[in-house]
Amino acid sequence: MTDSKYFTTTKKGEIFELKSELNNDKKEKKKEAVKKVIASMTVGKDVSALFPDVVNCMQTDNLELKKLVYLYLMNYAKSQPDMAIMAVNTFVKDCEDPNPLIRALAVRTMGCIRVDKITEYLCEPLRKCLKDEDPYVRKTAAVCVAKLYDISSGLVEDQGFLEQLKELLSDSNPMVVANAVAALSEINESSPTGQLLVELSTSTINKLLTALNECTEWGQVFILDSLSNYTPRDDREAQSICERITPRLAHANAAVVLSAVKVLIKMMEILQGDVEFCNTLSKKLAPPLVTLLSSEPEVQYVALRNINLIVQKKPDILKHEMKVFFVKYNDPIYVKLEKLDIMIRLASQANIAQVLSELKEYATEVDVDFVRKAVRAIGRCAIKVEPSAERCVTTLLELIQTKVNYVVQEAIVVIKDIFRKYPNKYESIISTLCENLDTLDEPEARASMVWIIGEYAERIDNADELLDSFLEGFADENAQVQLQLLTAVVKLFLKRPQHTQSLVQHVLSLATQDSDNPDLRDRGFIYWRLLSTDPAAAKEVVLAEKPLISEETDLLEPTLLDELICHISSLASVYHKPPTAFVEGRSAGVRKTLPARQGSDEVSSSVATVIPNQESLIGDLLSMDLGGPTIPTPAPVTAPTSNVDLLGGVDVLLGSGPDLTGGAAPSTTGLLGDIFGITTTPTMYTPPKSLWLPADKGKGLEIQGTFSRRSGQIYMEMTLTNKAMQAMTGFAIQFNKNSFGLAPATPMNITALQPGQSLEYSLPINPSGPVQRMEPLMTLQVAIKNNVDVFYYACQIPIQVLFIEDGSLDKRVFLTTWRDIPSANEMQYNLNDIKGTTDSVSNKMTLSNIFTIAKRNVEGQDMLYQSLKLTNNIWVLLELKLTPGVSYATLSLKSRSVEVAPFIFQAYESICKN
Amino acid sequence: MGVLFSYFKSLIGAREMRILILGLDGAGKTTILYRLQVGEVVTTIPTIGFNVEQVTYKNLKFQVWDLGGQTSIRPYWRCYYSNTDAIIYVVDSADKERMGISKDELFHMLREEELQDAILVVLANKQDIPGCMSLKEVHQALGLETLKNRTFQIFKTSAVKGEGLDMAMEWLANALKNRK
Repeated sequence: MTDSKYFTTTKKGEIFELKSELNNDKKEKKKEAVKKVIASMTVGKDVSALFPDVVNCMQTDNLELKKLVYLYLMNYAKSQPDMAIMAVNTFVKDCEDPNPLIRALAVRTMGCIRVDKITEYLCEPLRKCLKDEDPYVRKTAAVCVAKLYDISSGLVEDQGFLEQLKELLSDSNPMVVANAVAALSEINESSPTGQLLVELSTSTINKLLTALNECTEWGQVFILDSLSNYTPRDDREAQSICERITPRLAHANAAVVLSAVKVLIKMMEILQGDVEFCNTLSKKLAPPLVTLLSSEPEVQYVALRNINLIVQKKPDILKHEMKVFFVKYNDPIYVKLEKLDIMIRLASQANIAQVLSELKEYATEVDVDFVRKAVRAIGRCAIKVEPSAERCVTTLLELIQTKVNYVVQEAIVVIKDIFRKYPNKYESIISTLCENLDTLDEPEARASMVWIIGEYAERIDNADELLDSFLEGFADENAQVQLQLLTAVVKLFLKRPQHTQSLVQHVLSLATQDSDNPDLRDRGFIYWRLLSTDPAAAKEVVLAEKPLISEETDLLEPTLLDELICHISSLASVYHKPPTAFVEGRSAGVRKTLPARQGSDEVSSSVATVIPNQESLIGDLLSMDLGGPTIPTPAPVTAPTSNVDLLGGVDVLLGSGPDLTGGAAPSTTGLLGDIFGITTTPTMYTPPKSLWLPADKGKGLEIQGTFSRRSGQIYMEMTLTNKAMQAMTGFAIQFNKNSFGLAPATPMNITALQPGQSLEYSLPINPSGPVQRMEPLMTLQVAIKNNVDVFYYACQIPIQVLFIEDGSLDKRVFLTTWRDIPSANEMQYNLNDIKGTTDSVSNKMTLSNIFTIAKRNVEGQDMLYQSLKLTNNIWVLLELKLTPGVSYATLSLKSRSVEVAPFIFQAYESICKN
Repeated sequence: MGVLFSYFKSLIGAREMRILILGLDGAGKTTILYRLQVGEVVTTIPTIGFNVEQVTYKNLKFQVWDLGGQTSIRPYWRCYYSNTDAIIYVVDSADKERMGISKDELFHMLREEELQDAILVVLANKQDIPGCMSLKEVHQALGLETLKNRTFQIFKTSAVKGEGLDMAMEWLANALKNRK
């Protein structure tokens, strides 16, 4: 007897009981049993073991039992793909049942069984059902085609189902037409190439428009949605579509109304030439949209999100409807906030008085979020409607007087924007603002206040004291406040250099030495360099005229707006994100856009310079563009040990007096090098990063990298990019044994990589790991691990990072070694494209730890004798023969291990070309 | 007395007999099933799965299961074995090449524990096709002489012409009655 008996199913328990009941002769008992099975399935018990027994109950004339079995099949066919074949014949039979309900039920269930093995058997029954005499069966079959397309698109195309579906568009029954059109749009959207698989023609459009009036509300939505994807041939067709759709605006179903609005807006885009027609249409659009706002709050919210898009695209439609967007006291907060948004968008000179008094009311409400948004809205009105600015500022000042903490903070944030928009107009209120300095505790408000102080330093007598007080807690401030403080102090210094040098020195050292934030450090260094090199230039840069901020904030980017307009009445228009951003598996799909017409260019250009989203506003307001110039070389920045050099620079600055135009510049250039120590000299050549791990191999993780050597330490420089949808954590790295025993000196220290985030990471490497000769010699195999998986890639180590600092040989030792190495170990190489003189080449080499031992001139040729040493103590001796003025050179190499020679030549090549 | 009792029993209908129709694909199983049920020839397509119908013959009620004969479906025959009273094994007499496979499948099936008490009826079908194997030849090709401890009988039939089926059913009905 084998032990297999332990694995046979038990003859006891619930499953066994159900099994015997399912095989009972009595039909009633059977039905009871199937009901029990379904009940277990619904609560999550695994009853898949009963699959054959349940399937055996499938052929029955009892509709109820049949439905139950079908339900079971839909759930478990996937887990029993082989056994599912036993159900096929029943489907085939049911599709020929005299009862249309059973035929439809069968075809619907077939579409839900996603098992590859049986799909091909289901094509024939489906084909019959598509031609069924009963419309209910046909409409169900139409949807089944779309489902089948999702399982196997090739099968659907080969079997000619698309053509059959197209024929259904001319069906006599409107519901069939609606479902066929829904199936076709579904198929079009999932087409992998983005190419429309089925194009609608003028005649089918006419049929759709006819069916539109007769079908149910959901059918109407399907038809309208597919109409919105159709581009009419000419203006006349567009007009006739508009005319036939307009009655839908009066429909009771909000989805129908929104879909109709979507089609009409798209058609208006095409019909821009016909101003009169568009105007009448615009007038017709307003009332249905307004009506949507009298439904329940949830529907209101969806409507408002869509209206938000519509007012950005076509502000005229709702320009006279401001009042309906006024907030009601009992609106839920999400509706309030959304209404507020639309109010600002609709604000104009005509209605600003009304809007302002409303907003002022709102600012005294109790809900903090709402109040904040209201205060912000006042500021945005000031920026948008110029004549009202005065009143807005007054209102804001009144609000500041209330001393309510969050109101004051919001007010200060918006006043900063007002200053940007209307320079030299409202600065008189600065003193009021300064009084509230102490109450500010939010980063954005603090940053805004600091910006104001820096910007108007010359008008604030105690600006230095104020900023100094901020500096005390510098380390604890939020990054945006730190950046603002740095900029503000530099501004102050440039405006009033007399008593502020210690302040600027203090802030620069805080930013460059005590901070871990690379942005802050970089900006600190930039200012430092600017100030010490050319104060006049610094003034020009830091105190440059700022471009006026224009128009509104928070507008969507025009192409995104156009795309979203095409998705009105869908989740995309509620999220204000394109479907590709949140629908899985649809990333390859085409993005919808509004039809390109000559006229549309004007529209998009009139939208003007848009953007600043509140979050990015601070960044934009900074005098420096963060995305712009950065220090070109990733130089090993050693912070200055003393501030003497800087003071030198400052002295010059002071020496040239308050008028800083010119003069000072030439004398300060020399200081630059001193301040930064070694940084101004070019550093060792580092090859550009290459792609090591493409995102498709790394399950979304992309790694680009190179190797560098800085102050005697080898680094693996990597740019890690997360192209996946979720955060990556738990990074670790390991090297395979390699020719030079390279191994990570520290574990990888990356806490998390957010989706879309890109991270620069330098991994220190020690040459003290296990050694194993690789082929090719310089190959390094790397394994990198994160929470997703382990990934492997191989990269080539540029040999120059292995050249160590004490690779200089004594002249005599060089000579004897050269003689000792047999001539079999000598290799020759021709270098091309050498730039610069012999000395500059020699200097470049030295930076890369190739040391010139001696230099001779023989018959007009420069001979350089050079040596280098690898991390594993292999010495390489070289003779470089250069002819001045000629761009090629001859290189002779001698080493006890000549295997490295080709790589050394490569290194020479790249160093010389750099 | 016993005769009377069994007469009443059959009159009340008692239990439905469970019969499986098995055989290789294309042997004519589905045609036989519907011949038995409605008495006429229906056009059939290969059965991917199964058919189940109620057949009444001489006051006996049969629940007849016709299982598909494709290679891919044969492994699932075993799901239907339990409580089976009789097996009708259909052989295509004109398909000489696959007679061996048919034999293997038959004996493989008869080895199953659940079928030890089942009565076997072998139908040498498609006798209307000229040049087909005779009853004797089929009997020999299937190796039926080696069968022990099994109530069985072989009949020659033609489902399309309706020949031989009556005789086979008659015998089966009697065999089932006598068994009890």
